[in-house]
Amino acid sequence: MITNKQSTGIRGLDKMLHGGLVPGRAYIVSGPEGSGKTILSTQFLVDGVEGGERVLFVALEEPPNELKYNLRVFGWPIDGIEVLDANSDIRRFEPTPILEISTEEEPFRFSQIKDEIRKTSDTESHEVTVHSLQQLLKSLFLKRGYSRVVIDSMTALRYFCMKDFEENISTQSFMRFLAESKVTTLLTVETTEAMEMAPEAFLARGEIRLYRVRDESGIKRFISIEKYKGSTHDESIRSFEITPKGIVVHAG
Amino acid sequence: MDRVSTGITGLDKMLRGGLIPRRPYVISGASGTGKTIVAMQFIVDGLKRGEPCMWVSLDEPPNELKANMATFGWNLDHLKILDATPDIRMHKRTKSVIDVGTTLDVRDMEEVRDIRVSQQLRSMEVSIHSVQKMLKQEFFQHLERTKENYRRIAIDSLTALKMFSLVGVDSRIMIQSFIRFLSELEATCVIVSEHLDTSMIETEFFLARGMIRLHKWLDGSSIKRAISIEKMRGSGFDDKMRPLTIGPNGVTVDAAGKIPLNSTVVHALGSQFMEARIAEQVTVSIEKAFEMAEQCRRQGHDVSHAEMDLTRAMLMIQRGQLNEAMDMVERLRVNLELLLKPKSEVIPPPPAPEEARGI
Repeated sequence: MITNKQSTGIRGLDKMLHGGLVPGRAYIVSGPEGSGKTILSTQFLVDGVEGGERVLFVALEEPPNELKYNLRVFGWPIDGIEVLDANSDIRRFEPTPILEISTEEEPFRFSQIKDEIRKTSDTESHEVTVHSLQQLLKSLFLKRGYSRVVIDSMTALRYFCMKDFEENISTQSFMRFLAESKVTTLLTVETTEAMEMAPEAFLARGEIRLYRVRDESGIKRFISIEKYKGSTHDESIRSFEITPKGIVVHAG
Repeated sequence: MDRVSTGITGLDKMLRGGLIPRRPYVISGASGTGKTIVAMQFIVDGLKRGEPCMWVSLDEPPNELKANMATFGWNLDHLKILDATPDIRMHKRTKSVIDVGTTLDVRDMEEVRDIRVSQQLRSMEVSIHSVQKMLKQEFFQHLERTKENYRRIAIDSLTALKMFSLVGVDSRIMIQSFIRFLSELEATCVIVSEHLDTSMIETEFFLARGMIRLHKWLDGSSIKRAISIEKMRGSGFDDKMRPLTIGPNGVTVDAAGKIPLNSTVVHALGSQFMEARIAEQVTVSIEKAFEMAEQCRRQGHDVSHAEMDLTRAMLMIQRGQLNEAMDMVERLRVNLELLLKPKSEVIPPPPAPEEARGI
């Protein structure tokens, strides 16, 4: 029994996880579009910031300026969260140099993020690959000692950053890298109705799954723990809501 | 921050005021659900406010679009329309196939006359790349001419491009780059697209900041239409499906209207995964109930009723009445447990059934 579990920042979810997450491991947050993956993950980081921890948000699908705007409705202390803008630039079709995202790239605090979107430069185009991101994260983990990291999303990493790599093997190696880094990581994964299990779910130490069901009264949201290595957990599907204060899980 | 009106009052209400400006959105739905009309109404609203607007035509030749939209009586004279529909392909192998991008065709809607006739010598092919090049060229030429940026852009539609010219990993990256390109233009964009394969995540759906879905189904002999918001980053929204009608003045949405969701509609909405999961739980419950019934029988109780009920519950699952099935099994298990109790000293009771409610 591990006693020093890390809170997810969501009381009901902690209860489902029988105390929280085992620190230093990678977990999957999966669900369809609009199910609340990004909100859940950010709440996990906010909990860290509130406890004085250093935390990192790796933005692969949403520009940080929009993320900042979107999150402001919750009134969380997000200013201290560091954000790494890992969105690839517009691709050049002309033969201009394509540069892999540099290992010198720095994450910024939300408080430093500008309101406008970062513009692709006219002379060069930055491209994020799984390889370059891993290198960058490796040096960042060493220098900055993050205790919590969110990769939003693993789907974007697979889809847009593995062009010249074998997807499953790169995913496995990336997950291995996270495991060796011993940072508690949430990876968001987008699912569709008819999708088979994602390899990252197979490799992760746990999977929190979000569901979104439409019925006459609107969208209903549910959450379940599909897998949790090294810990017991709630086996049922519980309902949850996205409230003005964030995610609230009704854990019975 | 101000919101951008969609030009549809009911939809604005559902969006709590409209779209968050300067972001790309997707309008999806099966063919004939009204995607183009919804996109056009968004553009018309911009024109009414005197905003520079652009329509990128990828499927429908502008002359047909013009004819189709004429029925609504909108003034589209000043809409810039970019014709990126592909020519008739030359079937001879020829090196003179050129990207559309090199012959930029942007004109006001009022100048749109007839379908562009494919040239004899060169035929234009359309790729994401060429569309992006054309858009960029026009965006900057327009800025130079008028000192104003385009504020609203509609792309109609990405479906054809996806079906005919994009496949594999490259297509995802192309579309990702295209969405990034649209984001950097800082115009509010709507992209019309159909979800072709439900087992795949389609890049534009995944990267768009919001998704509006249109629905159409047959109710008896009449077509019913509805609209729903599936995702909207950074804003709360009305999460119910609302009735939509296409009338002589365009699309109207009844933001207070209700859609009774019968099982066909629910099915179309895709809660299959969840249903499968519930079905699994009920099945486990039923198995346990059968075990209990078997034990009761061995103890000399008459369980024929219980067994009948369990068969009915299984039928209910097949018909998709999962909640009813769940209730029935739960009741049965309580009853069977009561039957088992008095003799529990003789035969140990089965392991306590797990909580299988969950929903």
